[in-house]
Amino acid sequence: MTVQESAARTRPVPAVEAEGIAKNYGSVTALKPTSFAIPAGSYFVLLGPSGGGKTTTLRMIAGLIRPTGGRVRINGADVTDLPADRRDTSMVFQGAALFPHMTVEQNVAYGLTLRRLPRDRIRSEALEMLKLVGLAGFERRRPHELSGGQQQRVQLARALVLKTSVILLDEPLAALDAQLRRDMCFELKHIQESVGITFVHVTHNQEEAMTVADEIALIADGELVERGTPEHMYETPERRFTAGFIGENTLLDGIIHGHGQEARLVIAEGLEIPLPNAPVGEGRPASVSIKSEDFRLAPEAVDAVSAPVEVVDVFYLGFSTVMHVRLPDGRPATVRSTTGALPTRFRSGDRAVLSWRPEAVRLHLA
Amino acid sequence: MKASGPGGAGRGILWRRLVADDGPGRLLFYLPAVFMTVFFLVPLGLTLVWSVFERTMFWMKPGFTLAAYGDFFLSGRIDSFLNSVQSGLATVALAFALGFPIAVFVRRSLPPAAQHKAVLLFILPFMISEVIRLFALRPVLGRNGIINDALIGSGLIDAPLDWLIFTPTGVVIGEVLSFLPFMVFCGFLAMEGVPDYVFELCSDLGSGVVRTFVRVIVPLAAPGIFAATLFIFVNSLGLFLVPDLLGGPGAANAGTLVVNAISALDFPLAMAIAAVMVAMMIVLLLIGHRLFDITRILQPYR
Ligand SMILES: Nc1ncnc2c1ncn2[C@@H]1O[C@H](COP(=O)(O)OP(=O)(O)OP(=O)(O)O)[C@@H](O)[C@H]1O
Ligand SMILES: [Mg+2]
Repeated sequence: MTVQESAARTRPVPAVEAEGIAKNYGSVTALKPTSFAIPAGSYFVLLGPSGGGKTTTLRMIAGLIRPTGGRVRINGADVTDLPADRRDTSMVFQGAALFPHMTVEQNVAYGLTLRRLPRDRIRSEALEMLKLVGLAGFERRRPHELSGGQQQRVQLARALVLKTSVILLDEPLAALDAQLRRDMCFELKHIQESVGITFVHVTHNQEEAMTVADEIALIADGELVERGTPEHMYETPERRFTAGFIGENTLLDGIIHGHGQEARLVIAEGLEIPLPNAPVGEGRPASVSIKSEDFRLAPEAVDAVSAPVEVVDVFYLGFSTVMHVRLPDGRPATVRSTTGALPTRFRSGDRAVLSWRPEAVRLHLA
Repeated sequence: MKASGPGGAGRGILWRRLVADDGPGRLLFYLPAVFMTVFFLVPLGLTLVWSVFERTMFWMKPGFTLAAYGDFFLSGRIDSFLNSVQSGLATVALAFALGFPIAVFVRRSLPPAAQHKAVLLFILPFMISEVIRLFALRPVLGRNGIINDALIGSGLIDAPLDWLIFTPTGVVIGEVLSFLPFMVFCGFLAMEGVPDYVFELCSDLGSGVVRTFVRVIVPLAAPGIFAATLFIFVNSLGLFLVPDLLGGPGAANAGTLVVNAISALDFPLAMAIAAVMVAMMIVLLLIGHRLFDITRILQPYR
């Protein structure tokens, strides 16, 4: 290993760097000033509810939208003022954004023909990419002769063939049915890993995000709420919004009472959640979240903390069963249990006890 | 859903019975076919038949002779005809070069609500009689017309341009101006076949304006462009008003030739010229259909 290489190892240049990028449409704020860096070679997902600003963020990276403020850097180079085609990125659009009058091969090759490469080289590269995305033999077809999933693969091949260091994907799987979406997720991940370049993928589907992502950035209301690995976002979210959006969590809001070992979150009269050594002072509003699978529902308390509840709905889903229950003050909570582990079959209207381990409680101060 | 009253339901049943597969009303569906036969196919057939009839003093009599075709192909008329084909092609090219970019601009750069108003603006001139519109070009294009005045006034030229009117160029200018709205309108409709994403796609791939236009927009809008082109070409051959009003002495197109033949009571000749024009149009249609499925005019790529 040379000195330069080891230096590069220690401080790698991010593939994409956003520094305070923002976008306003007149009085509408699509994205507030936002900064993030995407490590080279990673699969980065922008996840969030509709209208949150994901597409806006992605298009500013692509150069299809000019930010109203901030800078964009790709591989360390400032590209804020460069048009889309001068950036080392290529885009996979939502829906089947292919040239309808060209064959699959022509679609994939179009970007290369613009670069004046020799013909047979263009052809061989296009065919190679089609093979990579599993469409060998489809090169003579036209887009309308392909299924939705195949059309998205063509788009992917078209983006990959340009050998840019970043591929940007805007809801690439939104038009596909659930099963195909799942298969395509695995495939996207495999392709990204085998090609080794950076993917930035926009979606509002959390399962899709969890499947493909090395890292997820949650974007809502024009703001980057939180970012982290799928495990982090699921297991230890910091923000209340993250806990509400990712997974199946019960959120409880209240006021901190007491301190030290005595600290607890008072949610309502008779409903308190112990928060020993909570890092906040008395009287501060806070929230907690508990994953549905961390609750246990039984005729009597089976874990350290518990509350009496009334069962509202029971949904049998085969492997697991989801139960909606009501806490003493009427607040809803969601419990998910592997069906086999349930002590009895609950019915709506049953009285039971909801219990959980203290470690399952996650505190959110914002 | 709205509940239909007893009267509505009754009418519905009656109507359905009338137009059922075996009901008498099914004949209704043949009306368009009858209409087309009476008003298009029969005259077309008669044109062909009469073109080989023998000429008499005031009318013609049944027979078979190619004299009329000889009169057309072996005289100065064919030169006039070919000249008008030439200026027709020039008109088509200019109308496309000017009109289609306008259509693209309207589709791409105006907000949706303004688009239809803009197109309406371009169609408005069609509401004015063609004669008036063409006549009004005289004070614009003439020796002392607005254009010459402006050019001389601005010092760009010393003497008035005298080829703007009463010349073959004048004919082309007149035709372009009268058919431009049609190209804009058809182009606007044709752009329906060009999805919005292709523009973003092209800018992401780095396909320049010219290349995007030639390789993407034109192929996608081709059926509509072809329809407009054909309409303009055929009309520029057939509408004798333009050469009459703007072409100067001796200017003629196929339409003029037909009118002259009719005034000379040479009906077979008039029919022969018309038949040649129809044949030419059919050939053009077939070529167009081979190049790009014309049925796509009504149904763009999905
Ligand atoms: N051209 C525009 N003019 C005005 N407002 C816009 C424009 N484009 C986007 N917006 C607004 O900016 C906000 C963010 O839009 P954006 O398309 O980035 O959302 P998104 O997160 O991609 O949503 P979705 O999941 O629905 O695609 C939205 O409130 C949207 O209405
Ligand atoms: Mg979006």
